[in-house]
Amino acid sequence: MSDPLDALEKSIGTLRRAIRDASAAGDTERAGELRMQLRRAERAWDALIDADEPAAAPPRPAPEAAPAARGAQLPAREHVHRALMLLGTPAAPKLIVGVHEAFFPGELSASKLSSLRRDEERSYRSSPGARPYYLCPALAHDLLTPVRALITISTWTLEQRIIGPLSPRVDFLTSAISIAEAVHTAAESTPDGPSPEALRLLWRFAVNIPDAMPRNASGHEGALEPQQVIGAAQAELDVHTGTDRATRAAAARRARKSLGDDGQLFGAPLQGVTHLRSARA
Amino acid sequence: MKNPVDDRLDALRGSAKRLDYNARSLAALENNPRCTLRALLDASGSDKAAIATHVGHPPSFGQSSFAITRGNAFEAMVKDNGCAELLRVLRETLELTLPEVGYEDLNDVGGDGRSKQRHERTEEVLLRAARGEGDATLFDHPMLRLLIGGHKVYLEPDLVALRIDGRFHVVEIKSFPIIDDQADSTQVRAATTQACAYIIALRDLLGRAGIGEEAVSDTIVLVAPKDFTNRPTGAFVDARKQVAALTRQLSRIERIGDLVDLLPEDLTFDLDPTPDKNKQPRRPAEELAEALDQVLVTYRPDCLNHCEMAFYCRSRARAEASLDVLGPTVREQFGGIDTTTMVMGLARGELTPSEDQVEIAAALRHAARLRAELEDLGGAA
Repeated sequence: MSDPLDALEKSIGTLRRAIRDASAAGDTERAGELRMQLRRAERAWDALIDADEPAAAPPRPAPEAAPAARGAQLPAREHVHRALMLLGTPAAPKLIVGVHEAFFPGELSASKLSSLRRDEERSYRSSPGARPYYLCPALAHDLLTPVRALITISTWTLEQRIIGPLSPRVDFLTSAISIAEAVHTAAESTPDGPSPEALRLLWRFAVNIPDAMPRNASGHEGALEPQQVIGAAQAELDVHTGTDRATRAAAARRARKSLGDDGQLFGAPLQGVTHLRSARA
Repeated sequence: MKNPVDDRLDALRGSAKRLDYNARSLAALENNPRCTLRALLDASGSDKAAIATHVGHPPSFGQSSFAITRGNAFEAMVKDNGCAELLRVLRETLELTLPEVGYEDLNDVGGDGRSKQRHERTEEVLLRAARGEGDATLFDHPMLRLLIGGHKVYLEPDLVALRIDGRFHVVEIKSFPIIDDQADSTQVRAATTQACAYIIALRDLLGRAGIGEEAVSDTIVLVAPKDFTNRPTGAFVDARKQVAALTRQLSRIERIGDLVDLLPEDLTFDLDPTPDKNKQPRRPAEELAEALDQVLVTYRPDCLNHCEMAFYCRSRARAEASLDVLGPTVREQFGGIDTTTMVMGLARGELTPSEDQVEIAAALRHAARLRAELEDLGGAA
């Protein structure tokens, strides 16, 4: 069994127990929220089993057929959540905005994102678990501290939210696959096909993946082919994925042992790091 | 531990806070090692910009804010998405293999951006990598440290890359373009000079752990926009000569004492700033200029690129009609003659040449004769 599935099963179990406790205590509001989290986790579990794709840990919702029709008025955090779910990996604000502009309607700016992150942590600390999900930082694999400028979703497994040395590249390739799939879906299901922004985004990824760019007879770059990008990215991904997953899993084990719930979401406190470092030195 | 030389240097600086060497003053050291004024001001940690401003020649150089923004944006673009663009470039230049993608962010230590902490972490991470442990290939903004004249200087390269079983390479990301495989030579030189200090500091770090200096390549990788696009390309730049030059100058810095000994006992470049936060200099500008005039200056036109005092030195050289203003190529033609007035005097035959000037005087008179003939022909206006 792969790690993401194990982790999901564990969190499903925890959620069920928490719902039972909340119902017993008569806290219907809390129970309702927990139920939402549970449904989300179960859907992710289904998606993983169906896809039979242990390498791609992120539970990825299929991009909606006509995204323009709905969701333009959502709050910023919903926009971010949707972009991150499409990517399935921790991402920097710039990429989140890029994905949002390529596939979804509505306004989202990078400056909005920085204030958003602070709000999320504050909201969690004032009433933990009150929201179905939180936007939280990715964690560094060695110090378990927040990683600069990478945003994740709290419902993801720790393994998914931890960044090891190879993870930036693994996440880049995984995002490339997700974007290529979204472009492919858009090409199949909408009359206009993918937006120019989406194609440009895919191009920016494809040029930096070996063999992802199509070559025509004269050796010039031809039109992008999402399937080719997916194939090329998967090929390089296969090289890194084993080592990367081992690093992330080991770090996640350490995090579960040494950090509380809030630490597992928002990272180890920075002061603890100094103690740890001086103790080791 | 204080020694008399340090006391003298402190006296030269006066009451102001000590400024450490930085990339710019190291570039000045490498480019104009002979200048005594520069050596004294840098070694004593004086604020060259404030001194130059006070004597009426504020340094007007420095990058425009647009250029800095552009440089930062380009670097960010190159490093975006797990260094995607950079990896493509390095796979082409350094021939990194497919598995070599490990990335270590040394911009801060768990949110702590202080130089000391970052340096400790850099040391730990780089030494581990040098011993072949860990998966990291790219080290983003490591914080290196160099001891110059007993003072710590922190230096921060854009990136250091390590090939498996290979050597560390300093990578400089610059926003000036490489067009048809050619880049502006002045800018390449400036980038190389900067990178030299990183190479030396990196070797120093590894050397303290007993790792030989061949572990750091003296070829740097320059990453810059290709042609007229915004996409990066890479090129190797050989920095061997400049590394050797800077290493030599750094080892000589300890000999600042010899220079200090030649100075008058009471000489100081103190601005006597007001103790409030405005730091208004209270010392009369003429008095400061007099103090500066007591020190030997070696002005060269390219000082304008990296020394805050350059405008002051240039005005002084002009006032003295010094040949320095015309640059070293012209200067070297007139061995033994220092000023334009003397050159003109010898050419017109108004001055009697001394024994070792006979040869050059004959050449000058010949040149003057040729020019006069041309003027007679109406060729020269």
